[in-house]
Amino acid sequence: MRTTDGAADSRQPLISIKNVSLSYGNFKALTDVSVDFFQGELVGLVGDNGAGKTTLIRIISGINPPTSGEVYFDGEKITKFHPKKAMDLGLECIQQSIGICDNLSVGRNYFLGREPVKRVLGLPFLDKKKIREASAKVVHDFGLRDTVDVDDEIALLSGGEKQTFKIARAVTFRNRVIIMDEPTNHLSVRERAHVNELAVQLKQQGLLVIYITHDIFQIHRIADRIVIMENGRKVTDVPRDAMSADALEGIIRDGGRAPSKGPKVA
Amino acid sequence: MNPSIRSSVRRHPEGITIGLVILISVAFAVITQGGWLSIGNLQSISQVTAVLAIMAFGEAMVIATGEIDISVGSVSGIGALTFLGLAPVVGSGLALLAAIVCGVFIGTLNGIFVALLGLPSLLVTLGTLFLFQGIGYAVTSGFSFAATDAVRQEFIYNTVGGGYIAGVNVAAIWALIVLVVLQLIVFETPIGNRILAVGGDAGSSFSRGVSVTKIKFGVYVVSGVLAAFAGVLDAASIGYADGSFGATMELSAIAAAVLGGCHLTGGRISLLGTLFGAFMLRGIQSFLILLAVEPQWYILVVGLIVVLASVADRTLTRFATKG
Repeated sequence: MRTTDGAADSRQPLISIKNVSLSYGNFKALTDVSVDFFQGELVGLVGDNGAGKTTLIRIISGINPPTSGEVYFDGEKITKFHPKKAMDLGLECIQQSIGICDNLSVGRNYFLGREPVKRVLGLPFLDKKKIREASAKVVHDFGLRDTVDVDDEIALLSGGEKQTFKIARAVTFRNRVIIMDEPTNHLSVRERAHVNELAVQLKQQGLLVIYITHDIFQIHRIADRIVIMENGRKVTDVPRDAMSADALEGIIRDGGRAPSKGPKVA
Repeated sequence: MNPSIRSSVRRHPEGITIGLVILISVAFAVITQGGWLSIGNLQSISQVTAVLAIMAFGEAMVIATGEIDISVGSVSGIGALTFLGLAPVVGSGLALLAAIVCGVFIGTLNGIFVALLGLPSLLVTLGTLFLFQGIGYAVTSGFSFAATDAVRQEFIYNTVGGGYIAGVNVAAIWALIVLVVLQLIVFETPIGNRILAVGGDAGSSFSRGVSVTKIKFGVYVVSGVLAAFAGVLDAASIGYADGSFGATMELSAIAAAVLGGCHLTGGRISLLGTLFGAFMLRGIQSFLILLAVEPQWYILVVGLIVVLASVADRTLTRFATKG
């Protein structure tokens, strides 16, 4: 297995995945995956459909516990897998197909799971003013239509607007880690460029950014490191400068079987 | 069409039901030449509406999470039987507590199977519906429980259904209290936001750190408690109960919630609408009684209304979420 450059190796990884496997019944979605992620780096997690990228992210973000193997966050072993726990540790995830409840307003979606409260007679009530103002500011800052009313159901937004909203939410609540699963889906060319700039900025602010995509050429331009998955295994893990985008694409196209690029896949 | 109309239809799904209730109230009053609108009739409608509404509020909470609870009829029966069976022995205070505990117990049972084990709520609560109906029949074995004269004098008995305030059964007061409390919880607290979120998209809610299991478990306990309490209110008002108590009430409770603008797919409910839905059903029932229509026609009319309501609901939802 290849590792990152020497500077990164001397530091403690922020997230460390050790020999993680995940099975759904007889289907092995992940097989013995080990990978480290460091603070302040932008990692491109690449692979074909069904390679296990999203499954790996679901484990890191606490949605699924692994069948076997360990996950460490900041040196501490994770024993309880729950998205709430991941959020409390400072991890924000832009999930590809989930993360928004269509029936709730934009503001309520923005704060879902971490609603601001004001106490009335000691009882926790939603701080609707804060919900409205904070979410309106974010919606405005990220360039959504001026006609978007944060009190209205988020179902009224277009696919691209919802995606922008998810990115805006993750970025605004940013803490230590941001995971982006195919963040540029539904977005226009200009918006894509903006998301990629954002990813780089977040990294420069010292966050760990894990960026999942199909598009090796796009991620090769901005990532510090590329991790390729195939059939539930990690097949390549190289610093961006170590290989060209074309060579990396070759690995993906050949299903991770390129002779000297990784372990054999059964 | 004016976007503000769409927006208000979207935000207030109960508006149509309330409008309809006013319309049929006028129609019923005219047709019965004021008989339907008489004080005595309105008093009796308000009592039966209140009992149904409390049960339907619990149902609405479960529907909010995208599940269903069809055991509420049996739970109200068990609540009624527990209350009237124990009240002469231990007093109405402890009997009330025991009835509520039964509601908690059955709600917990439903919650374990639906929330923890992930079984389909329709099947689980159908099972508990039959199970506790069977227990109700077995316990009474053909007899009925009645409140003794001593029990009827007790303060708590009169507070939970036996008494009247300004000629209106106390059940109506209880229904309003439950309505206000649940309205605050569902629409003004973080828990409420998460209840609606779970019904809207359980997977997305979970990914935002919401404990779907706890939320679903909680609403079943609430539904169980409210159904048992509704049974107590009804039993104390009537003064006796047998094994068939509460039978088919679950259907009226679901119908009231749906009429009131609760979406069975979850995530969108209206408690005020549910109250009016219950009022509509009970109002129609009373209207048919005044017209001396045989009671079995009531069920047919309810069926028709629910089918029409679901068509109207879909049409409205499409209208409201367009553009």
